Amino acid sequence: MSLSRRRFLQGSLIAAGAGGLSACSSIGAGVTGGSLPADTVNYWNLFGGGDGVRMQEMQKGFEKANPSLGLQAVTLTWGNPYYTKLSLATIGDKPPDVAVSHLSRVPTLVSAGLLQPLSPDDLSRHGMSEDKFSPGPWKQSQFNGQTYAIPLDTHPIVLFYNTKLCKKAGLLDGNGNLKSMEGESAFVDALEKVKKAGAQWGGVCSVNADTATNWRFFQSLYSQLGGEVLSDDGKKVVLDDAKATKVLNFLKHLSVDSKLMPSGVDYGGAVAMFASGQAGFYLEGEWEISTFQTAKMPFSMTLFPNVYGGSNYKVQGDSHTLIVPAVSGADQKRTDRALAFVRSMLDQSLTWAQGGHVPAWLPVKDSAEYKKLKPQSNYAAAGDAAVYDPPAWYSGSGSNFENVTGSAIATVRAGQADPKSAVAAMRRGLQTYAETPAPA
Amino acid sequence: MSSTATPTSTSTPSQRPAQRRRRSRAKAGGGASYDSRVKVFNAICFGVLIIFALLWLVPLAWAIDTSLKPNAETTKVPVTWWIENPTLDSFKTVLQQGDMPKWLASSLITSTAIALGTVITASMAAFALSRMQFRGRTFVFIFVLAGIMIPGQVLIVPQFREFDALHLLNTYWAVILPQIPAAIAVFIFKQFFDGLPRDLEEAARVDGASPGRIYWSVMLPLSRPVISAVSIFTFVWSWNNLLWPLLVLTNPNLMTIPVGLATVQGSYGIRYADVMASAILGGIPLIAVFLLFQRSIVEGIAGTGLKG
Amino acid sequence: MTTTTRTASGSTVRRAAKPASGRASGDNRAALLFLAPFLILYILFVIGPGLYAVVLSFTNASLVRSGLGSFAGFGNYAEALGGHDFWNTLWHTLLFTILTTPPLVILAFLLALLVDRVGRGRWFFRFAFFAPYVLASAVMALIWIWIYTPAIGLANDWLGRIGITAPNFLGDPKWAMASVAFATVWWTLGFNFVLYLAGLQDIPRDLYEAASLDGTGPVKQIRHITIPMLGRTTTLVAVLQVIASLKIFDQIYIMTQGGPNFSTRVSLEYIYDVSFTDMRIGYGSAVSVLLFIVILVVSFIWLGIVQRQEKGV
Repeated sequence: MSLSRRRFLQGSLIAAGAGGLSACSSIGAGVTGGSLPADTVNYWNLFGGGDGVRMQEMQKGFEKANPSLGLQAVTLTWGNPYYTKLSLATIGDKPPDVAVSHLSRVPTLVSAGLLQPLSPDDLSRHGMSEDKFSPGPWKQSQFNGQTYAIPLDTHPIVLFYNTKLCKKAGLLDGNGNLKSMEGESAFVDALEKVKKAGAQWGGVCSVNADTATNWRFFQSLYSQLGGEVLSDDGKKVVLDDAKATKVLNFLKHLSVDSKLMPSGVDYGGAVAMFASGQAGFYLEGEWEISTFQTAKMPFSMTLFPNVYGGSNYKVQGDSHTLIVPAVSGADQKRTDRALAFVRSMLDQSLTWAQGGHVPAWLPVKDSAEYKKLKPQSNYAAAGDAAVYDPPAWYSGSGSNFENVTGSAIATVRAGQADPKSAVAAMRRGLQTYAETPAPA
Repeated sequence: MSSTATPTSTSTPSQRPAQRRRRSRAKAGGGASYDSRVKVFNAICFGVLIIFALLWLVPLAWAIDTSLKPNAETTKVPVTWWIENPTLDSFKTVLQQGDMPKWLASSLITSTAIALGTVITASMAAFALSRMQFRGRTFVFIFVLAGIMIPGQVLIVPQFREFDALHLLNTYWAVILPQIPAAIAVFIFKQFFDGLPRDLEEAARVDGASPGRIYWSVMLPLSRPVISAVSIFTFVWSWNNLLWPLLVLTNPNLMTIPVGLATVQGSYGIRYADVMASAILGGIPLIAVFLLFQRSIVEGIAGTGLKG
Repeated sequence: MTTTTRTASGSTVRRAAKPASGRASGDNRAALLFLAPFLILYILFVIGPGLYAVVLSFTNASLVRSGLGSFAGFGNYAEALGGHDFWNTLWHTLLFTILTTPPLVILAFLLALLVDRVGRGRWFFRFAFFAPYVLASAVMALIWIWIYTPAIGLANDWLGRIGITAPNFLGDPKWAMASVAFATVWWTLGFNFVLYLAGLQDIPRDLYEAASLDGTGPVKQIRHITIPMLGRTTTLVAVLQVIASLKIFDQIYIMTQGGPNFSTRVSLEYIYDVSFTDMRIGYGSAVSVLLFIVILVVSFIWLGIVQRQEKGV
């Protein structure tokens, strides 16, 4: 190797090192384990994609409204990795000041002693009280009479539809809204019509490497039938074989038998398919609204179809909440910092709602501006009809519970397994967890 | 005929000139047909090799290609190598996020400390085992040898508990300390020391030099190749270590590059150019190390590998 | 402790050798000093945790609670050995080993052979095959996730051009493990390649010379000279490969997280999930101990093979 090349490489390595060493304060932190500047809010979330964009907007809003506070926001991978990291950080006594948590995960975090309870005094100092929140999510945030989480929203799975294709297929009413569909055949009918109107697929819903979505699709239908999965804090598996098989047969029909929906597409692929008009309908959480708005395609949203529910409409959902992880030597300043951030997020609930979620903060939810927000307000009713994941130490959004059930459901939708064996697999997987004593 | 002529050195790494071979073969009567057979074979070999090498370079090349596209272009079908609007925006985005320099600092600090620590502790221990007489020497040697059998990965659970109890989680110490005691390094150094001639050392000893002096002035200077191999290897290996730092570094400011890349999503969504840019930026430091120390690395593998 | 004395003229005076006992005790102290740094860290961070893992394995300790929790006896081991998960994940680990070891040994050998034969352009070939090895697993994983992406990934495109419908590499339980294995071969072949290259260079050229003079073709030469002489290297490469495969974690964690449908969950990923996501460190320790035993057995089998080879040679 020639001398000049060697020297160049050495030089650039040194330059890179010098650039890296400019982060001196974090090095100090690395050596002593000390924390960063005292007036910075350390915030973790798991929002990628459309949600991520909204959250970044709201973060900027917080910084503008609170010039005396700094903000360090970190986004981590959604699902188990996020909660594992959060737990590990809290155990290592270096958790963030405030973090996002799904409401379905809060019970586990509380019983593990990882969350700081929020006193009514602290809350009211920042203008928060019970009467300002949707009763459903608020009630779920209370444990032993104390508040452990502040609900931000409820996010159900919804039905996206391509307005151009649906109009062509004659599925829209006079106001340009989707006519309501009840019952299996109505739904299948709509998919077929849309396919004839020029779509490659009637509808799409992610199948591969996405256990959460599979679970949500299944659970919405299953709970419309009145089915339950776990009881007794997850110690018993009460899966109803007949109802589960009925739902899985329907799902199989949609993708494998009738080929109205693709049987092998992942999350990103499904988004791309709907955005490009290859599929007329799309089933997913409402958060993808931003993606389609950015893509400037003709679409609208409405409640997940009431296939089996009749007058007892149900749909799978969860809520995002903000929690304050427990830390030794917790001081008032930290709590106030965290709650100031929480309040700022709540104040910007309209922005968050523009991202598709149903706000839990009543001052915004009951406001005229929110009601005017279309298509978001189309499915506001889901806020009360949402079915959360059954409580268990292994349950919650992105948890092992969803992994076990979602995997089994995906195999049916992908044509890799029949409903009967999938139900058996679900039962077997859940039984193992049910029998394992809670570690916390 | 030179059929019985054998070269005196049997381990020359360089190849003999092709002409001599051809001449002697011609003399032996193998003739032109054998020659052309070999030539064709060689040509085929070269062709196959070029194809494989090019294929091997494709993933990296593709990553670079993607990183130079604007995000929107990366999702276009059909897939193409052609970049309509080449841009460095992805790299700017990743660097602006602010994490990469911090991760680089973490990786640099921890890997350097680990490499230094390993070389020093292992060479000292190996020196004692190789050159010093003391009670229990065999026992200590076996004790250390046993450690080679213990892979670090099966210790993550108790080690996590340990560092939790020491309140050292989320510090560089948590990353550095467990990676320094490397039984294999002690073994490698000992092998090397065992193979060194004893006269220089004997002379020093008779002169009354202390063991420390012998270690510093006699053994170490002679051990340059091993030191360089072990330090580079430890540096590279600890730089790329994912599992343990993943557990103990949950503070995004302290993460090493692999942990950062594996953990932080940065609200990318489906922005493949940004993801590739971060991967490339993450990979550049060690590629640079490789280019600088190519010979040492390669010799190091060869040397220690064959000895094992 | 001792000093050399110099005479006025500058030459050193040789002292008489110290009495044996004096040297031994002096050495004892000095040896301790030399061993101490390594041994302290070694005991604190390798042996200590090892023993602690065994202790933990008999308890129901939890990550979020201090102390050892309740006593479990052999319950954790029973659960592991009696349940599906431990054996499934062990099988996945073995599957990964089976999928990666032959290509990593044979292909590395062939490529090294070719490079050795061709002679020129060595720098280029060495870079092409070894550069991936210095990439962090995270870097390699991100690149391959992108290549394997459905619809817009490069793999999908290339296969399409030759008329094959690409499977969903990372999303199909039937293909996920093979896809990760393929990426791993790309990533780590360079190391074995270099080992073989060095081994090839150590084969004396005159062996080939003699064979050529006899008119033996190149292929026969490879079969009768090269391969036998590389026996030791091959054993080394194969065993290193197998042991490394048993400890696989990184790519799986990033590319599939053990999915889809747990089809790629390997032993170490299982330990991670159970200990740090489910927080059951008692059970996790038991699985760790079991994995350690597996690795130990494989290592001893290696020792056996090497011993026999040495004796044979």
